[in-house]
Amino acid sequence: MFSIIYYIREFLRPKWIATFFTAKTAPLTTPPYFRDFPVLTDKECTHCLACMMICPAPDAIVVVQREGVWRPEITKGHCIRCGLCIEACPEDVLASGRILVYKKEEKLTLKASFQIEIDQEKCMGCGNCSVACPVNREIDPALRSSGTSTSDEVIMRVDAGQNKVLHEEKCTGCKTCEENCSNKAIRVARVVEALQGGEE
Amino acid sequence: MSLLQNLKNAVRSRSIHVAYVNVGSCNGCDIEILACLSPRYDIEQYGIYVHNNPREADVLLITGAFSPQWEDKLKPLWDKIPHPKVAVAIGNCPISGCVFNRPETLVDPPVSKHIPIAAEIPGCPPRPTEIISTILSLAPIIFKDYEETKK
Repeated sequence: MFSIIYYIREFLRPKWIATFFTAKTAPLTTPPYFRDFPVLTDKECTHCLACMMICPAPDAIVVVQREGVWRPEITKGHCIRCGLCIEACPEDVLASGRILVYKKEEKLTLKASFQIEIDQEKCMGCGNCSVACPVNREIDPALRSSGTSTSDEVIMRVDAGQNKVLHEEKCTGCKTCEENCSNKAIRVARVVEALQGGEE
Repeated sequence: MSLLQNLKNAVRSRSIHVAYVNVGSCNGCDIEILACLSPRYDIEQYGIYVHNNPREADVLLITGAFSPQWEDKLKPLWDKIPHPKVAVAIGNCPISGCVFNRPETLVDPPVSKHIPIAAEIPGCPPRPTEIISTILSLAPIIFKDYEETKK
């Protein structure tokens, strides 16, 4: 009997009634450690294309030159916020959440090697890959639209109607050639090792 | 503006029925939608109610990169939803296909090719807060004064 009266008294308190009817959860804020879309820091991009190399989603990141400055650009709707570009970037151009902090703590570096495979049955020697390759263009700006080049230093060039790979070790693995090949004849395979604790 | 329209606006702003459809996603985004139902995010405090029946829905949440089995099914499903209605693409897959959109795969993104999409939430998956804030910001635009603007 007393307990019933006690309950009625308890539930008739104006404060209890007010909180019962106006209860709301706390406003939701994104925590600072959330790994959001990468944002640019004020560091300078050196156009090494490591971010494009490691990116698992097609077309999510491109390194473009705007007003004479190279910088990576993220496409929302393609980027999956995995944060690998931030880990791969040697200059810390991108930042998101706590990645840069633990990258510094663990002295995280990525070591990668690449294999360029060209299916000679599919390759028609159009030279799209050699022209599109950003490393090729930097080595030999005079590379012709047919993909032929007089330089022996380029990664690949068209020679006698077939695309030939000359310097596989110069490849940065950005996969621009794959995207520009109309026959899907060229494939870039990458082997990436994550190293902790500095250079070996 | 008529009194009836005011009443409809007031009711619709506090009663948004949501249906979600998975057109071939990996279930990551579906889990994020279900996380909105949990006490941490609690979408029912905003009057959003997950009611998985297109005939009673106002908002259709679409996840997934559109697999071939949905070619003849998504459009009828969209037609079943009574007006006013709105479709929201959740995650990267309905926008671009993301990691599934590779050579020799069967997916057919974007979903906006098949039904009209009003809003897209990028992310793989998007945060529950992003889903809730999108629905809440979209609903007034679509549902307010629907009968007045339709004429």
